[in-house]
Amino acid sequence: MKVGLEVHQQIATGKLFCACPSELVEEEGATFVRRLRSASGEDRYVDAAAAFQASRGLSYRYTDGPSSCLVECDEEPPRPLNETALDVALTMALLLESRPVDEIEVMRKIVVDGSNTSGFQRTALIAVGGRLEVGGTTHEILSICLEEDAARKVGGDRSEVAFRLDRLGIPLVEIATGPTITSGAEAREVALEIGALLRSTRRVRRGIGTIREDLNVSIEGGHRIEIKGVQELRLLGEYVAREERRQQLLLGWREELRARGARVDPTVIDVGAELTGATQGPVASALHGGGVALALRLPGFAGLLSTPASTDERLGRELADHARAAGVGGIVHSDETTAAALAGGVADRLRDALKLDAHDAFVLVADRSEAKVRRALAAVAKRAQAALEGVPGETRDPLPDGRSRYSRPLPGRDRLYPETDVPPIPVSPERLARLRASLPERPAASRARLAREHGLAPELVRQIVYGGELDRFDELVERGRSAGAVARLLIQELPAVPPRPDGPPFEPSVELLDGLLRATESGAFSKEGIPAVLAELAAGRTTVDDAVHRAGLHRAGADELARVVEQVVGQQIELVRQRGEAAFSPLMGDVMRQLRGRRDGREIADELRRAIARRLAEPSH
Amino acid sequence: MTSEGTSPDPWEVLRTLPLGQRVELTDEQGTTWSGTVLPSHELSGPRVLTLKLETGYNVGIRIGPQVRYRRLGGPPAPAEVVTARPSGPPTGAGAIELLTTGGTIASRVDYETGGVRPIAGQDELLDFYPELRAEGTVRITPVLDVLSENLTPPDWLTLAGKAVEAFGRGAQGVVITHGTDTMGFTSAALSFLLVDLPGPVVLVGAQRSPDRPSSDGPSNLHAAARLARDRRIGEVVVVMHEGLSDDRFAVHRGTWVRKMHSTRRDAFVSRNGPPLGSIDANEIHLGPWVRPPASGPARLDGPLDARGALLSFYPGLPASRARQFAEGHRGIVLAGTGLGHVATEHLGWIREATARGVVVAMTTQCLEGIVDPFVYATGRELLRAGVTYLDDLLPETAYVKLLWALGHASSPDAVRELLLRDRAGEFLRRRTAGVPP
Ligand SMILES: [Zn+2]
Repeated sequence: MKVGLEVHQQIATGKLFCACPSELVEEEGATFVRRLRSASGEDRYVDAAAAFQASRGLSYRYTDGPSSCLVECDEEPPRPLNETALDVALTMALLLESRPVDEIEVMRKIVVDGSNTSGFQRTALIAVGGRLEVGGTTHEILSICLEEDAARKVGGDRSEVAFRLDRLGIPLVEIATGPTITSGAEAREVALEIGALLRSTRRVRRGIGTIREDLNVSIEGGHRIEIKGVQELRLLGEYVAREERRQQLLLGWREELRARGARVDPTVIDVGAELTGATQGPVASALHGGGVALALRLPGFAGLLSTPASTDERLGRELADHARAAGVGGIVHSDETTAAALAGGVADRLRDALKLDAHDAFVLVADRSEAKVRRALAAVAKRAQAALEGVPGETRDPLPDGRSRYSRPLPGRDRLYPETDVPPIPVSPERLARLRASLPERPAASRARLAREHGLAPELVRQIVYGGELDRFDELVERGRSAGAVARLLIQELPAVPPRPDGPPFEPSVELLDGLLRATESGAFSKEGIPAVLAELAAGRTTVDDAVHRAGLHRAGADELARVVEQVVGQQIELVRQRGEAAFSPLMGDVMRQLRGRRDGREIADELRRAIARRLAEPSH
Repeated sequence: MTSEGTSPDPWEVLRTLPLGQRVELTDEQGTTWSGTVLPSHELSGPRVLTLKLETGYNVGIRIGPQVRYRRLGGPPAPAEVVTARPSGPPTGAGAIELLTTGGTIASRVDYETGGVRPIAGQDELLDFYPELRAEGTVRITPVLDVLSENLTPPDWLTLAGKAVEAFGRGAQGVVITHGTDTMGFTSAALSFLLVDLPGPVVLVGAQRSPDRPSSDGPSNLHAAARLARDRRIGEVVVVMHEGLSDDRFAVHRGTWVRKMHSTRRDAFVSRNGPPLGSIDANEIHLGPWVRPPASGPARLDGPLDARGALLSFYPGLPASRARQFAEGHRGIVLAGTGLGHVATEHLGWIREATARGVVVAMTTQCLEGIVDPFVYATGRELLRAGVTYLDDLLPETAYVKLLWALGHASSPDAVRELLLRDRAGEFLRRRTAGVPP
């Protein structure tokens, strides 16, 4: 297996071609609706991926806001390229020993899925070649690009897709490796190393979705598959492993289909009459809505559309994914006619009408729009035909469970043409010299420094450096917070804050975290209370003080401590008399229930011991 | 790899390679680049060769004296060929004629170089804008091929003549594709030049070039073609985006419209009042003040006399320069401040000019609202100096009307009379506080 990786990292320098901030916002402004077309006059050659998208005839609804301007609306030409973002990309080129181009030419990459208002993504090749050592293996770097991020999809249906413009135009540094990775685990290690290297520039955005990976996977005898936009790094290995398995299965099915002499009959047959008895399921509802049901014969495919049971990859699902991408809800096929879609004798009637024998399969699509049904069946026929060839090259979307799903054809090279609105940008030797003189600390050096200067354990150091926390760690330590407390906060306590399903993600500022740690240092509340205070902050408290009070964790004064201890000892006086100092443990539990997080545990223990000792010293009655 | 040829300087050879030649370079750092030679960008640095790499990216490589190169075979074939064509035959009966003049809407990009070239011929245009014939027959007549900033008054006459011919051939309406920069001038000129129109003359353009999937050209053109088939209109109008969306278009009277933004799709705005109408996906909505079609035949009512000028006053404009500017002209439209003022030091040359028989007319550089000489002393003095106040005409519309009036009258008084008489609905007369009249 050969795996290549493309890492896309958002850069926190403001947008690439306008003066907007590179921040996502919830505030919404004006809305407008656009259409895109792919027939952009390219000598009548239209890229396959672009033509596919445009053929779906969708409208796109865009909402602007405080993070977008006329440039994102495609109402103003791009302004000059953001020089700081370019510095970040060039710094990466130097760190990866890549060769920067002498003059950068910004290109337009045709993207007509609506995610770019212009119908293209601006992208520039910054450097080529290079190398990266990970775990003793040298991986090849193919290219470093600087490009615009796309608009955020926020909703939509089959005729209109809604986008928010805040993400559009945020600079992305794209680093592509050669196909030198051989396993999912290795892919993850390489991604971590590149991520840490990117973060070493201290100019990257942080948080969910700010770094995304594309995977290129191919196995012997297979074809290149692009899995685009993996956000969960921990699933990277899973995607690779599953894709390897899927391609192996496809090759196996090909052998079986060839052995059977299977073929695809492209004739589309109207089976509406055979389905009149169907009263439930999607097919019936499409027909009741005045739609059509058409079917395709797949001689020799019987039984192969839903095997094998040992995995959740199915040839039938591949066909369905292509149909869905062509705009219908799904398909019904002959290997799953027990489903509600075709209950009763309908399936048998269908088989008769389609003149199928036991080895033959069929695929049925129903929808209100006949054009959509025909388009979907054409896509199914094409995919079924490809099954006879093995693994069709395609772009796939990652799913949250580690699987992936067909999204569109592989883009071709014709998608790129010059962005004539932006002049070429020279990369001067002086500029490279300036950047070379101030290269950031590499991840390996950071790890050594953290171990050396702060005596942190290697695993903790690893988590700080590769978990994207080095910048915040350094900043908080620089502000005078203790390395141990900072590490615990960043690696254990912050990630443990429960996510809020309804609100924006909790992204506390360094100032806030600093304030939190200062508050524990000054004794405003005890460090055991940090998780509770973080939970309050995540719930929207804006100051540490407020959060501490809301959590009921403001430090208990000496009076309160003494009162609570006396009260507990008084209630349990029999126990104290019976067990003497051994009563400490159960009583400590009682006291802590009232004061946890509001006073240092040691101080509470001391107070309790003294109180017990006092009672024991009293003459007994 | 060795250097081909005998030239000691590889740049001298590489710079002259034919477009599309594939080469492999090894630069002074030992990096190998292979790709197709493209013409260098106008703004490229010295000795920078533009290459299109196999990945599709263009890069600039500095060709030092030690760079080695090798010619490779021809250009790589495109990855996959999909011919983008509309499906279904054209339907409907309304025949319209499309006159092309050049500009963004009639240009297409060369995808290799990024350069823009005009669309050549009827077939290519219809291929490019399949929406055009969605509702009926379209005859295409190329008239001019210039960027609109290069158009001159004689071009307006040419265009008006072609529109008359089109109606003579039986066209139900005429669409004119036009660069947006001076489309408002042309629409005003055609409004004065064309009389007895039996159908609409619709000018249309694009603010986003057609090399982008997001171009407003196709939807504007489609809307314009629909309007050209509307039998309720007998005047010159401009159709462009109403807002930022691709599904609504405004219909502007040719004399009221002005490009008010350099880049936005909705740059074209009717001044002093609402547009004549709007077009959405299903319907064409027209206000009651649309001029109905005449029974025809359409006529060209020329000529234009180019001895008219437009001068925008600004603080600091020396009276001596304005006096020089006025020389040789039969008429001058001033775009004055506010209600129609210029600095009082200009009164001298204005008096001299009007005394010589030069027509001096006043408009406002505010663009919205009227000029009125009676409110301030300066206005009253300008009036006494012989300045003609043109109510709510846009400066550009007034300038175009001046050329037309100069072409139709010889005495200054007759020119002034023509200027003040409504001809194409150019005077709004009544302006309301935002509510359509
Ligand atoms: Zn912006």
